[in-house]
Amino acid sequence: MHRIIVANRRGHQVVEWEITDTEEAREQIAAAERILREAREQGCVVSKKVGGQHVLDDGPFDPQVEEYQIIAPIAGG
Amino acid sequence: MGLADFWRKLFGRASPEDDALLAALPVERPWRQRWEYLPKRSAGPDFTSRDYAEARARAREVARATLGDALWDEVQRRGYLELPSRRFPGVTYRLRIGRRIEVRCARGVRPPWRQPFLCINPTYPLPEEEFFAHLYLYVRDREDQIIRVAAPQPWDQALGRTF
Repeated sequence: MHRIIVANRRGHQVVEWEITDTEEAREQIAAAERILREAREQGCVVSKKVGGQHVLDDGPFDPQVEEYQIIAPIAGG
Repeated sequence: MGLADFWRKLFGRASPEDDALLAALPVERPWRQRWEYLPKRSAGPDFTSRDYAEARARAREVARATLGDALWDEVQRRGYLELPSRRFPGVTYRLRIGRRIEVRCARGVRPPWRQPFLCINPTYPLPEEEFFAHLYLYVRDREDQIIRVAAPQPWDQALGRTF
């Protein structure tokens, strides 16, 4: 199972998808891609797990990635 | 009440039932809302003390997973993590959970800011351990953004948008 960790005041919530050739999996992947795009459009940053470590990432959504995380925008003060 | 339930009540650990309930909720997308009206250190008037405890427990899990065990253990042991600046030679950022970033300079190095602390908050409320992991990623991978948004301050203080 692949996932996006959505950091929010609940601690976090998770959006998951599977890489299988089914309509359900395609819908899950489309939903995951939409939430990542929406978060970026609103100023959030995205990290992805690479070699067991999270790194900030500007690349397009890749359903093969094991884990993304939506990182809150920051402001001074 | 079993021992596991007592432990969860004491330390706010989410139970499997709590996790299932949360999973059934629609994912909250905090970037869709405005949060300026909230008092400092608050997650909102609808949040109960149990919600806070559960949120902090989940945040701890994800912060540890984000940083990895070695860094997580280090911050637990030392109380801070340090990252060297890639923009300012001789400058180190000291990050502590829920606090402003302390800017530390090697001997003879001129500080990039006149004030020693940088105040940086998330734009929406987050448990402080979760935001600590976010801030670590920003400082390590996006120092320019830190430099652009940071509000230099003369003293240390708890962050206002975390809890």
